[in-house]
Amino acid sequence: MIELQGQLAVGAILFALGAIGFLTRRNLILMMLSAEMMLHGVSINLTAFGAYHHNSSGQVFTIFVLTIAACEAGLSLALILTLYQRRKSLDVQLWSNLGEPDLPRLVDESAPPSHPLPPADLPHLTPAGAMPAGPKHLTKA
Amino acid sequence: MNSLTQHAGVLAPVALGAVAIWTLLPRQGNRAWVLGGMCGLAAVLAILGRLAPPTGEWLRDGLFYLFGGGAIVCGAMMITDRNPVYAALWFALVTLSTCGLFLLNSAPFLSVATVIVYAGAIVVTFLFVIMLAHQGGTGGCDSVAYQPVLGTISGFLLMGALLYTLQQWGGIDQKPEAYAARPAAFALPPHEVESNPLSRPRLGDMGSLNGVGRSLFGDYLFAVELAGAVLLIATIGAIAIAPRRSQGHL
Repeated sequence: MIELQGQLAVGAILFALGAIGFLTRRNLILMMLSAEMMLHGVSINLTAFGAYHHNSSGQVFTIFVLTIAACEAGLSLALILTLYQRRKSLDVQLWSNLGEPDLPRLVDESAPPSHPLPPADLPHLTPAGAMPAGPKHLTKA
Repeated sequence: MNSLTQHAGVLAPVALGAVAIWTLLPRQGNRAWVLGGMCGLAAVLAILGRLAPPTGEWLRDGLFYLFGGGAIVCGAMMITDRNPVYAALWFALVTLSTCGLFLLNSAPFLSVATVIVYAGAIVVTFLFVIMLAHQGGTGGCDSVAYQPVLGTISGFLLMGALLYTLQQWGGIDQKPEAYAARPAAFALPPHEVESNPLSRPRLGDMGSLNGVGRSLFGDYLFAVELAGAVLLIATIGAIAIAPRRSQGHL
């Protein structure tokens, strides 16, 4: 006997957390990762019910969920790369002008400017003395 | 109001978790992460203690609490982390915890396959894209959440409804008499429900690759063909959508 109710609770909580992440994050990649987390919650439910009813259908459904998740990841990565190439940013709010122009905007929040990375402290080669002169027989006197 | 007070054991941790997530979501300035973390841990402990009471097998219970609690905590850390690279790594931990739950559900093949597919391929690809996109700097769109109040309220309304329903049929011992009949029928595996013939495991076959393969290529063969077609179409679509190298370098 498995703890079905607890597994369903964990699946429900993962699904809701993924929904919150999808709604509130502004990064395109993190939105896609949140959607994948919702799929994880669904997969937990499917395998738990499969073990509960003692047949293999739940695991087979989970394999299909995995397949669709892989398709979604590939397509979303291609889309994200294309969108990033257009705007040079992953902020999803930069695409909010795709809506109808006569509809009222919900809110127009602009992201704060991104901070540049601190300069890396790369090692330097120490100078090793003066440049040696070229060979005599190759240079004109 | 009476039913609300009756189910306060589930609804109060959900509200506490909402406060925790709202506190921890990225915003300008400092976050009260101590308060949020304490609220979140209390909510997780309360909800797991209420909805998943110990069954008596200490090893199984320990593993379930480890993987279930780990999945929830890592998921909350993922959606609240400011750094997208750390968020992707938290997502890898969520995947590993989910694989542990798969093992508990006697699905070892799925557990290994999920580790390979997610932690081995998807997370690495996402990290690749994140590092590609963050050559210019950090911060920006990741340091502020979009509409944190609305998102938290809607998400936790969904979670509260789901957990309320789970608790409704789960705790048969605390229900009034009118509810006692149906949950009791559901709490035991219903033998009258017929599953697909090849999906029924033979003796000792449950969870083995043999049983999954018989079900997958017996009962669900057409679905396998459809899944293959979907994969092919997704591959073609990804190649068609992906930016060309000649139009500009990334």
